[in-house]
Amino acid sequence: MDSTNLDEKFRSVIETVDVANALTAPLTRSIENLLRLAAAEVNSDEGSVIVRDGAGNDLRFLVAVGEVAAKLREVRIPQGKGIAGFVFSSGQPMAVADVGQDANFYAEIDQQTGYSTQTVLATPLRFDGEIIGVLEFVNRIGEPPYAPFTPDEMDKAALFAEAISSLVDAHESAALLESLCAKIAENCEKTDLRKWLATVRTAPSHRELLEIALLVRELSQTGDAERKVCREVLESFVRYAELKTKPESFLSF
Amino acid sequence: MTLLGENLILSEDWKTRTGRGVSVAVIDSGVDIMHPDLSGKLRESVEAVTEGNKVSFVAADGTDAAGHGTACAGIIARIAPDADLYSIKVLGANAAGAGMPFLAGLEYAIKRRFKVVNLSLGTTKPQYVAPLRDLLDRAYTAGCIVVAAANNLPQPSFPSVFSSSLISVVKGEMQNPFEFSFRYGDVIELVAPGINVHTAWTGGGYRQLTGNSFACPQIVGIIALLLEDNPNLTPFQVKSALYAIAQQNLAVA
Repeated sequence: MDSTNLDEKFRSVIETVDVANALTAPLTRSIENLLRLAAAEVNSDEGSVIVRDGAGNDLRFLVAVGEVAAKLREVRIPQGKGIAGFVFSSGQPMAVADVGQDANFYAEIDQQTGYSTQTVLATPLRFDGEIIGVLEFVNRIGEPPYAPFTPDEMDKAALFAEAISSLVDAHESAALLESLCAKIAENCEKTDLRKWLATVRTAPSHRELLEIALLVRELSQTGDAERKVCREVLESFVRYAELKTKPESFLSF
Repeated sequence: MTLLGENLILSEDWKTRTGRGVSVAVIDSGVDIMHPDLSGKLRESVEAVTEGNKVSFVAADGTDAAGHGTACAGIIARIAPDADLYSIKVLGANAAGAGMPFLAGLEYAIKRRFKVVNLSLGTTKPQYVAPLRDLLDRAYTAGCIVVAAANNLPQPSFPSVFSSSLISVVKGEMQNPFEFSFRYGDVIELVAPGINVHTAWTGGGYRQLTGNSFACPQIVGIIALLLEDNPNLTPFQVKSALYAIAQQNLAVA
């Protein structure tokens, strides 16, 4: 196949898919529906799903329901800041009452949204042992002063967090695929696909990985026994590498 | 005098002790040393600095960005006002990827031979189970009493689910820390006040907090009182004493 055909083929594939939000939008809607249900169960109408913002440990609002939901989506929480930041880094669920007595803590987010936070319930979102976000509810239905969240509501939030975690993980994978598709589409439009692929291929780390992948593919195509041996050898190497990198002590003195 | 075991005699007025001479480490988000409830009670504040797969501890500035560590220290100081508090900050800007600093903080506390360790933190990452078990065993044989907050989430949290080498605490409805109780047939052993606990918060304020995180320091405070008269109690003896007191509390209730 010549390069013009390749470009055209890629473009036609990409054009058949509505790349922007095609994968994440249904998941976002499901998370939002579940969040509304959870908020009703814990007698709150302000709920949010907070996730890691990019590669760092800052946080952003993935989904929010309630009075200031749209504004929250623009807010970023620096690493370790606020109740959500603590719950994300510690994995400990907590409920905090009378936040409004001392404006220090939530001032930044409240200032950006114009909201008045008084009582908070925050639960970590976990997937495969990793903390991937925080499920947070703020204030109660009705007028202040708001009663603190109860232990029973904490337990309910923990159950919803379990279900929402799976959707958030799926959302993260879908977002990755979307960005990859967008990247391909962008490069197709610029008829620069070959150049982009070439940069991927020629980067030393990518090239090495591709070579290993090709070797594994070749070996595993020779038969079941070879595939089994190949897997066992690789798994042994992974275990060896893990042992090798495991520090004898966690302290540097 | 109350006889709790062959060699363990508890004075009737043990509740009037203040924890004098007992070292208590709080492994958390730091402690606000300027808080009026904690002024002059912190003997040392250190924080984790991660470089590669090594963690070192440097002098900290005595602040707490999250509030959680201050809340735990405030609870301990209220029960045992003369205990020597040590803050080991493992959560915050310099401790990204909480697992390693968390383990290193525990190792640091054991090496420093702090008598009681408040661990209102946990992890669900399976790769930390083995090193945590090892550290907890080292703490046990070193006579370092580790008290951990349980988790109310569906997935197990480590180390609170370890049964032998530490004391695990869950929140209960009672308000008085001396009225703690115990649970049978579960890895969670003790039940202490953890619902709407009024305690110190960063910035000189106070919060009303709910969570197992705040039940844990109640037991830490109680242990500091027990150790004032009996500084050489081993973790096993402390557990036995706590069990006997909890049994008496239940009988009274």
